[in-house]
Amino acid sequence: MKRRSFLKSALFASATGAAITTGIVSPNMAFADADTAAKDPFKAKSLDDVLKLLGATDAEESDKIKIKAPEIAENGAVVPVGASSDIDGTTEIIFITVNNPTPLAAKYTFGESAVPAIKTRFKMGKTTDVIALVKAGDKFYTAKANVKVTKGGCGG
Amino acid sequence: MAKSTIKLRTKEKGGKIQVKALIKHPMETGLRKDKKTGKKIPAHHITKVVVEANGKPVLTADWSGSVSKNPFLSFSYAGSKDDTVKLTWTDNTGKSDSIEKKIGEK
Repeated sequence: MKRRSFLKSALFASATGAAITTGIVSPNMAFADADTAAKDPFKAKSLDDVLKLLGATDAEESDKIKIKAPEIAENGAVVPVGASSDIDGTTEIIFITVNNPTPLAAKYTFGESAVPAIKTRFKMGKTTDVIALVKAGDKFYTAKANVKVTKGGCGG
Repeated sequence: MAKSTIKLRTKEKGGKIQVKALIKHPMETGLRKDKKTGKKIPAHHITKVVVEANGKPVLTADWSGSVSKNPFLSFSYAGSKDDTVKLTWTDNTGKSDSIEKKIGEK
């Protein structure tokens, strides 16, 4: 277990640098329908709606957030993603997989003693940007990584 | 006793406790179709995971169906090796499970 996770983090570290340079976010407009997006951000179907419901539309990009995600994921069903924040007062890390049917993937709220860094696994239907949204105080900061998915994991 | 759905490993290192958890869960999004019947498989995924150390929450996770099957979670917090870590998950059908372990306990 230990060795495996070490190998993984080493692999991702190399992918992070390249990922930061990827282009601007392109929300999936096909799913954008303000009426169907209820008040629950987890049910929102577009990036814009998710950000709106979270109140994070004015999120600043920050290089203090590190995302660890593979550049190419062969199996979209299990994509290991990690993020850590060096921003003071980080209370939440939110993951958004932009091209998934429901972009908001997970929200992690950290307790006082927790280190604001998390590793987890996501499903990705197709190649997508992964956005890490960090909440520190009342402000939001973002960073993103692009993951190329060769085989979708959301079925359908 | 039935085997727990949660595998929890904790380790103390330099005043930080590393917590790793693997939960056994199908994590159905509700969008996938059954290949034989063509019917949609109903959503069945974990919506909330709470990790507590000595009764105080250190991490709360809200999940959608985008989290992979048999989700894995790893993070660390500042604590001591005498802590007790408890992890509880709840899914959208109201099912839940929890596990409680001392640091380093297998």
